[in-house]
Amino acid sequence: MSGKKGVLPPEPMTNDAVAERLVRAARRSMDMGTFQKQNLVYLELNGCSGNIISLLNGRNPDFAYMVNSMVNLRYSNSLMAAEGAQATEKLFEALNEPFILAVEGAVSLRDEGMYNVIGMHERKPLTGLKAARMLGEKADTILAVGACATHGGVSAARPNPSESVGLQNVLPERKLIKLPGCPVNPRWFLGTLAHILLYGEPDTDRLGRPLMFYSTLIHDRCPRRPFFDKGIFAEKLGDPTCLFKLGCRGPVTRTDCPTKEWNSGVNWPIGANTPCIGCAQFGFPDAMEPFISYDTTRVIEDD
Amino acid sequence: MSTTELLRMRMNQLVTQARYDLASLQAISDDTPERRIYLQRLWDTVTDMHVTSELLAVNAAASQVQPLGPLPGQVWNNVNGIQNASPGANSRTFTEAELAGYDGKNGRAAYVAVNGIVYDVTNNRTWAAATHFGLAAGKDHTAAFASCHAGQEAILAQLPVVGRLVQ
Repeated sequence: MSGKKGVLPPEPMTNDAVAERLVRAARRSMDMGTFQKQNLVYLELNGCSGNIISLLNGRNPDFAYMVNSMVNLRYSNSLMAAEGAQATEKLFEALNEPFILAVEGAVSLRDEGMYNVIGMHERKPLTGLKAARMLGEKADTILAVGACATHGGVSAARPNPSESVGLQNVLPERKLIKLPGCPVNPRWFLGTLAHILLYGEPDTDRLGRPLMFYSTLIHDRCPRRPFFDKGIFAEKLGDPTCLFKLGCRGPVTRTDCPTKEWNSGVNWPIGANTPCIGCAQFGFPDAMEPFISYDTTRVIEDD
Repeated sequence: MSTTELLRMRMNQLVTQARYDLASLQAISDDTPERRIYLQRLWDTVTDMHVTSELLAVNAAASQVQPLGPLPGQVWNNVNGIQNASPGANSRTFTEAELAGYDGKNGRAAYVAVNGIVYDVTNNRTWAAATHFGLAAGKDHTAAFASCHAGQEAILAQLPVVGRLVQ
C-alpha cells in the first residue's frame, strides 16, 4: 500500500494477485528483519465495547493471529484475565515500555471525568479522562477506534449528560489515526494495525482517516447506483432500488462497505435492504438523523 | 442556452475539476509521476479558467442588461461570484414562510436558501430525505453554509436556482 502512491495504472485486484502481493511483502519484511511485535494497550472508555466485540469477528488476520503474532496485548478491559487492582497495575506497567494505544469510547468530562471510572489506583478512582491523558501523552501511535473515540459518537449524542467528547479534545497536540464507524469494521482496525507494524503509519486524509479504507464514497461503489442515476427510488424498506428517498447516507459517507462488506464479506446494510445510516461519518449519530423517513420528497417524473 | 450560460457552466466544470485535482494532490505527499500529472492538469485548468472568465467579462459588457446583478467590478468578489449569479428576471421570490413550505415532506419539493438565493435540493445526493447533516430543507442555511463550506461556492453553482429570498 505504501511507497507507490495512487493507483495509476491500477494494480491487478484479483484474489490471487492480492494474495501474492501480501505474501511477497510479508516475506520481504521478515527477510529484512523489520517486523517486530509491538505492545498494544487497548483502552475502553465511555462507550459500549462494541468495537472490541466487532474486532473478535475479524478474519485474515483474525483476533487470535493478532494477539499471537502481531502485538503483545498489554491491557484490554474486556479480554484480559487479570481483575481489579491487578489489572490496573498492568495498565501502569505498560507505561514503562513503548506501546501503541488504541482507544474506544468517548472521554467523559463531567465532574472531572467521574462519570466514567475504569478502575481503582492507589485507592482512588481512575477516570477515563485521566487514563486517556496519561497514556495518550506517552503512546508512540494512537488509534481512535470507533465513532465515540473519533468525535464523541453515540456517547456524545444530544443531550449528552456525561459531557462526552472525542479523544482529540483531550489530546489536542497529538496526531490521532481516526477510525470512525459504529462499530469499526474489524478489517479497518486490523488493517491499520498491520500497516503500522509493517510500514509505519498509513496515509490519512485531512481528518486523520486512513485512505486505504475511508477514501471512496459508498455512493460511488453502491450496486444500486444505476437506480439513483435513473431516479428510481425505493418507497419502503425491502424495495430492491435506490434507498436515497428513505434517507440513505451512502452519498456522504466514505468507507469500503459496498465492496468488502461486513461479517467477513457476508452482507452489508444496503445489501440487507436498509439505508446506510452514515455510522462512519463524523457527526454520527446526530448529524445523520433521521435514519429513516417515509414522508419524503416526491420522485420527479420526466414530463 | 445563452453564451453566458454556456460559459458559466464551463467555468463551473473547471472549478470542480481544479478542486478534485487539489484534493488528489493533498493525498499525495511526495514527488511522484502522478503528482506531476495532477499539477500539469491543474495548471492547464487554471489557464482555461482565466480565458473563460475573460470571455464572460466580454459577454457581460456586451449584454448591458443586469436586472439583479451586482455592480460591475463586484461580480467576482461577492460571495456568489462564480455561481448562478442571479436568478433570471422571471424567477420567483420567497418569503421565509413560503420557503418553509418546501420542506421535502409528503411529496413536496425540498428548497434551501443561501445568501438570498433559493436552491432546489430535492434530488441532490447529499440531501437524502431532505436532510443534510442535521439541517432540514425549507430554511435559510446561509450561516451553516459559511461555517462548513467556506470557499466552496462551486457547490452552489451545481444546484438549480428557483428564486430569491426576500424579507
